Amino acid sequence: MDTVVRTEGLTKDYGSVLALDDLSLEIGPGITGLVGANGAGKSTLIKILLGLLTPTRGAATVLGHDIARASAEIRTEVGYLPEHDCLPPDVSASDFVVHLAMMSGLPRVAARERAAEVLRHVGLAEERYRPMGGYSTGMKQRAKLAQALAHDPRLVLLDEPTNGLDPAARDDMLGLVQRIGEDFGIAVIVTSHLLGELERVSDHVVILDGGKLLRASRTDEFLDATGTLLVEVLGDDAQARMAAALAEAGVMTQARGGLIALEPPNPAADRSGVPDLHDLVRDTAADLGLGLVRIQADHRRIEDVFHDAPADVTAEVARG
Amino acid sequence: MAERGAVESRGVIHDLGYRPYTGPRQGEGAIAWALFVNGFLNAFGIGRSGKSKVLPFLLLALNLLPAVIVVGAMVLIGLPDLPISYAQYASTTQVLLGIFVASQAPVLFSRDLRHGSITLYLARPLRATHYALARWAALLAATLVFLLLPILMLYVGTLLGELDAGTQTEDAATAALLVVLLALTLTGVAGLIASVSVRRGFAVVATIAVLLLGNGIVTAIQGIATEQERPRIGEIAGLFSPYSLYRGAGAALADLDSLTPPTGAGMEAAYYVAFVALAALCLGLLVLRYRKVSGR
Repeated sequence: MDTVVRTEGLTKDYGSVLALDDLSLEIGPGITGLVGANGAGKSTLIKILLGLLTPTRGAATVLGHDIARASAEIRTEVGYLPEHDCLPPDVSASDFVVHLAMMSGLPRVAARERAAEVLRHVGLAEERYRPMGGYSTGMKQRAKLAQALAHDPRLVLLDEPTNGLDPAARDDMLGLVQRIGEDFGIAVIVTSHLLGELERVSDHVVILDGGKLLRASRTDEFLDATGTLLVEVLGDDAQARMAAALAEAGVMTQARGGLIALEPPNPAADRSGVPDLHDLVRDTAADLGLGLVRIQADHRRIEDVFHDAPADVTAEVARG
Repeated sequence: MAERGAVESRGVIHDLGYRPYTGPRQGEGAIAWALFVNGFLNAFGIGRSGKSKVLPFLLLALNLLPAVIVVGAMVLIGLPDLPISYAQYASTTQVLLGIFVASQAPVLFSRDLRHGSITLYLARPLRATHYALARWAALLAATLVFLLLPILMLYVGTLLGELDAGTQTEDAATAALLVVLLALTLTGVAGLIASVSVRRGFAVVATIAVLLLGNGIVTAIQGIATEQERPRIGEIAGLFSPYSLYRGAGAALADLDSLTPPTGAGMEAAYYVAFVALAALCLGLLVLRYRKVSGR
């Protein structure tokens, strides 16, 4: 199965709000980040794919099933982590996940085994036997993730799984998302309004803006190395001295926070006899007696897409 | 790439390997049955916290207490007849019954809406209509336990007391039919109220108000109608509350007391029709409610 989700002209008109505007896209296996500001149409898209909302116009397939005709099949094969609270406080995670696994069609004994297994995978240990009302936000998100995985779906739709988490819990959750996609072999569509956090776990990124497709491509295409080198040096007035010495050697520099950004050399110019940029940095630092902390390639961030070319143009390119 | 490594090295994920599930996946029927069983147990607090078992079992115990005493008397003293008829029993314990239905309907209908877990059900194969039906059936079954168990106990008591089995069987069967009708309406009314009120407290109060206050008002109207010697008004008023419907239908079918029992075949039929129609109407609205929640 190459295509996990395909939509054609999908439109959801709430009357006052156009949540999805003629959206056509294709999502393949692996981890796909669905990114956009609040109200960009991420949750609406997910709910339409699950059959929880009916589109005003357009068509879509999920795992090869038509959303209009085979909604029950889709919901058998898909796991869903909703954005909002969905856990009853007086039930333990263990009982709840068993119950929901049965609601996905697993027999009781199998549901128990699966629940124990997925709760272990998401990292809920002894606390799984306590009522969920006493859980921290991080534990609640794990319980929500466990129920989405309980029936071994082929695709999980994770709606803002990192919402409300502190940085450490956020990292854990992203680590889990990565594991689901890479180790469990389950296709993942994960939404976030924070662009930056998905770039390190997702293979593909789909960016929605105002219900329209802004851009869809492989994550690494977003993060192409720009050719710029970032250099960090240590010592008395290190940054200024380093920048001055490099400028003398004919390299354009720019201060960026505590780092120096070295503009890439013009590829058209004659480079013979000129030392490699890395060597130059090393030698310059050594000559000045400065500690060279790091040299790293500067990657673009997903955010940059929003500052790039006008939205209409990129969207057309992405639809190809 | 350094960040990527940091994520993987965190200790929370135990690397024991993921095993896909290859076993059977059951259809909607089996899922609905599982939801029904779960709901039935939940109505008695089983599968929920310890303290949520207190109220349903306390009410059930209180509800059965008169039956236990009667059976004891039947066996030990050897009474010539039941001191309370099968059909009268539910009328006598109607307050307990009302509290039970009012307090447990929110468990089955408000909880999933209040805590948002309804979304998790709707994202699974079971359709909204079947979800509503399974929940309704669970409350109906729990209410029937409440209503049929005393009848069964009294019946066994009369057999132990060596009363005429034929008469007793007939009386018990008639009462069973009546309480099934009562359970259908109570389940419908309480379920519908609980499904539109997200707050448990509101659902409990509203259900008790509709059931017990409604019954009180109807009884008052019937009392006044009797005094004014215009029983027809009382008979018509009796059509508007589950308990008065039960008394009216019980007066027609069994030996139940009603201030203004339905007179004439037309009015008797109106009681049966109203009984069934009220139950059907509530169930219909309940299904509609969940179809609306599901967005389809």
